[in-house]
Amino acid sequence: MFTRDFLRLTGSALIAHRLRSFLTTLGIAVGIAAVILLTSIGEGIHQFVLAEFTQFGTTIVGINPGKTSTHGASTGVFGTVRPLTLEDAQALQRLPFARAVVPLVQGNAEVEAGNRRRRTTVYGVGAQMPQAFSMQVKSGRFLPADDPSAPRAFAVLGSKLRHELFASENPLGQRLGIGGSRYRIIGVMEEKGTVLGFDLDDTVYIPAARALELFNRDSLFEIDLMYAADVRSETVVKGIRNLLLARHGREDFTITTQEQMLDVLGSILNILTFAVGAIGGISLLVGAIGIGTIMTIAVNERTAEIGVLRALGARRAQVLGLFLGEAMVLAALGGVVGLVAGIGIAQLLHLLLPALPVHTPWLFVILAETVALLIGLAAGVLPARRAAGLDPVEALRGE
Amino acid sequence: MNGSDISRFAWVALRGYPTRTLLMLIAMAIGVAAVIVLTSLGEGARRYVTDEFSSLGTNLLIVFPGRSETAGINPTTMMGETPRDLTLDDALALTRSYSVRRIAPLNVGAADISWRNRQREVTVIGTTREMLAIRHWELAQGDFLPATDPDLATPVCVIGGRIRSELFGARRALGEWLRIGDRRFRVIGVMASEGRSIGVDVQETVMIPVASAQQLFNTPSLFRILVEAKSREAIQPVKRFIIDTLQARHQGEKDVTVVTQDAVLATFDRIFSALTYAVGGIAAISLMVAGILIMNVMLVAVSQRTAEIGLLKALGAAPRQIIVLIIAEAFLLSSLGALLGLLLGQIASAGIRHAFPVLPAQAPLWAAVTAVLVALITGVLFSLLPARRAARLDPVLALSRR
Amino acid sequence: MIELHQVHRDFLVGDQTVHALNDINLTITAGEYLSIMGPSGSGKSTLLNLIGLLDRPSSGQYLLDGEDVTTLGDVQQAHTRNRRIGFVFQAFHLVPRLTAAENVELPLILAATPPQERRERVAAALEALNLSDRARHKPEQLSGGQRQRIAIARATITEPAVLLADEPTGNLDHQSGGDVIETLERLNRRAITLIVVTHDAELGARASRRILMRDGRIESDKRTDRA
Repeated sequence: MFTRDFLRLTGSALIAHRLRSFLTTLGIAVGIAAVILLTSIGEGIHQFVLAEFTQFGTTIVGINPGKTSTHGASTGVFGTVRPLTLEDAQALQRLPFARAVVPLVQGNAEVEAGNRRRRTTVYGVGAQMPQAFSMQVKSGRFLPADDPSAPRAFAVLGSKLRHELFASENPLGQRLGIGGSRYRIIGVMEEKGTVLGFDLDDTVYIPAARALELFNRDSLFEIDLMYAADVRSETVVKGIRNLLLARHGREDFTITTQEQMLDVLGSILNILTFAVGAIGGISLLVGAIGIGTIMTIAVNERTAEIGVLRALGARRAQVLGLFLGEAMVLAALGGVVGLVAGIGIAQLLHLLLPALPVHTPWLFVILAETVALLIGLAAGVLPARRAAGLDPVEALRGE
Repeated sequence: MNGSDISRFAWVALRGYPTRTLLMLIAMAIGVAAVIVLTSLGEGARRYVTDEFSSLGTNLLIVFPGRSETAGINPTTMMGETPRDLTLDDALALTRSYSVRRIAPLNVGAADISWRNRQREVTVIGTTREMLAIRHWELAQGDFLPATDPDLATPVCVIGGRIRSELFGARRALGEWLRIGDRRFRVIGVMASEGRSIGVDVQETVMIPVASAQQLFNTPSLFRILVEAKSREAIQPVKRFIIDTLQARHQGEKDVTVVTQDAVLATFDRIFSALTYAVGGIAAISLMVAGILIMNVMLVAVSQRTAEIGLLKALGAAPRQIIVLIIAEAFLLSSLGALLGLLLGQIASAGIRHAFPVLPAQAPLWAAVTAVLVALITGVLFSLLPARRAARLDPVLALSRR
Repeated sequence: MIELHQVHRDFLVGDQTVHALNDINLTITAGEYLSIMGPSGSGKSTLLNLIGLLDRPSSGQYLLDGEDVTTLGDVQQAHTRNRRIGFVFQAFHLVPRLTAAENVELPLILAATPPQERRERVAAALEALNLSDRARHKPEQLSGGQRQRIAIARATITEPAVLLADEPTGNLDHQSGGDVIETLERLNRRAITLIVVTHDAELGARASRRILMRDGRIESDKRTDRA
């Protein structure tokens, strides 16, 4: 039998029962649409989060004080007996693969300029921060590469803080009071937006040594190291570990590569996407049962036709193929309709709620259609086998 | 035709096609069971988290140093430092309200501890005796931190059960001297094995007097102050009292954040409830698919039973009676399916509870009721079209066809 | 061309064995016109199904053109039915959703005959039966006689050597039944072997060889020579 004839025979059977075929298709379509819609949203969020993370570059390693404890989070941030110091940061700078090293102290303080005051996030950082985190200075310049232990009292503003404190005035050269000390403003950063809950524009950057003093700490929060792109992250981690081990005598720090973080994050988000997809897939299962039911009915109704086909010389395999084909065409059509509906609704959602990122990768589209076909196959197997197994004499006697 | 006749008629019709009926039952059951199981998971997660938060204490307020312009908690207030710290004196000032039952200052850090040649790094909590009552913790051996002046850096410690077994094995821990950082502390108590709560595993911590912790970490500041109000109604007044008191002590600067346990609980409750609704709703899509299936099969049944319907009409059945018959069949189908699904869903939930005892997975009543109702309504709604089609059949044509 | 040797066919009804065919020995030569008659349950339809390879004997041997087809597998049996045997049924058994022409075309579709050739052969077959103007009609739009003639066209489109007809006029009025029989006999005159199973004595008498069956056995086997 030629494929074209096969399709024509199958098609004629489906068209003969239009409403029935339509409803069966609808069942699968609803299921596929649900899966596509949910995974699109999941994937959209996945990409959104990854983009948020990678905007700082991927060749970054974070070093925190304290060894990671059993529950995963480093407790070192709260207070620790062995600090991570500015000297550690300076030592790290001498590693051959280090492109930029940024000591980091973070805190919350009230800043004042003129008669305006605002409570804001204060970052104590090093001169190489813009380079490491691919951030841009909008006007003026960033903190200069002073002696890290005795830097001059300069400050650089985030764009939001600049507007809050100075409105349309030019802040460059103005004085800024932070926790009783005076700083001179030498630059304003480009807008960066909110990243994972941190408003990066409502900030002020000052030299790390001065922040340590301000907050009365002896340990940095974190040291971030950007390495050359052609160096393997394992080499970097090993280099940092050896250096700090030599300086501290023991491993009382935690090294986290951006890669590791992205891996963990990516796998969590993948599991989430998979989970919502699977929940949506339950309706696909019900749709499959629908195909099975309708095909069972079709085999019962068309017993005589099956007998005739066999009498006219159709092989069992051909009968099996015809009914399987019907089931698969139903499922495939449902798949296509569901895909279009799913993608359509996803895009519509995105239009209505621009905050909700959606993304439908081609892989999902192909996967969904394949799943639909497999569903047709699985749902059609039993009825089709029943059709193929019918005794032609019995089949012809009926009715 | 009375009710029992109608249901018998529907039952016989369904029994006539066992395969088809079984498949439709399974379809309906899957939908209902999916809703039940998924909402029970969501509800279980919600209960788990809120229970964990409730176990933090009752009528609790938590004071953080630092405050950001945007209200609420944000990551910076959780971890950042401020120029002006919360001090032990700040904490003690908070006891001067009638509505405050007790307070506990809290300092947290990581440090090495060692005993003889065994060593490990642990989370060290600096606090006072009140902590025991606030968190409802229990001791396995010995006593908790002494009720002395909080300013007194007594060299004693209470250790978690796992630390006890790791450092001391089968030996007696009470009375032994531990080295924490560069200081020595005497073990006076061991925590009981229960008492896990969000973030901190009591089993993995060592507790020392708050003043000792400040010396150990070389800081005058506190990480948090836990405040327990006398009653639920007292929570808001206490919150205002805390803010006012600390503002007065901090030269008029509002630089603390006070979070009530209720607010945190309510937030989690909202998040998880929304999650449960969403997941249940997604699962309910399968109920719709099952409804479409029932409509489809009822349509087939109507066209297959054309002669039968024609005969009924010829015997004097009114269109309304035909409609009732078809709907009754669909109703029977969906109610049986819903019951089956309810049963399967409850069994699966019980299985989850059995496999993960910490997760109280139990479908909320609203979910079970809604799932069954939606199943029934879908069944009836989707059988309207076939029923009307049957009622409109021309009896002469219906009988003459084949 | 058809040889049956000691053929038995037993059915299990409940826990009782029914001998539908009991020691059948029959030889049919090419081009014969044979009628099989007998009361209900005498085994005539079973015999026909067996000859048509829709059924297998419980024991015995069936030679078709000297080849033992008793033990053929499903695929070869289907192939043999398709090429060498044609069926005509009492209930016509046209596929209701296909047009007359498409019904006739079915065996050729199953045999994967090229479309161009198919079209020509179907057109010729319909033309020969005077049904060209009905080619696009669905079975439900045709009269009983027309339906049965379409069925005959379908049975003969692969030019089989044997045509098996099971009560071909059973569902037809006298007039169209006559048309159908004439059509069948015309085919027989063109050397097709025609085997008709019928209740109808008048119809059975037209055959040159008449077999009467009773209780699964051949009771009589009469021939008349026709000029």
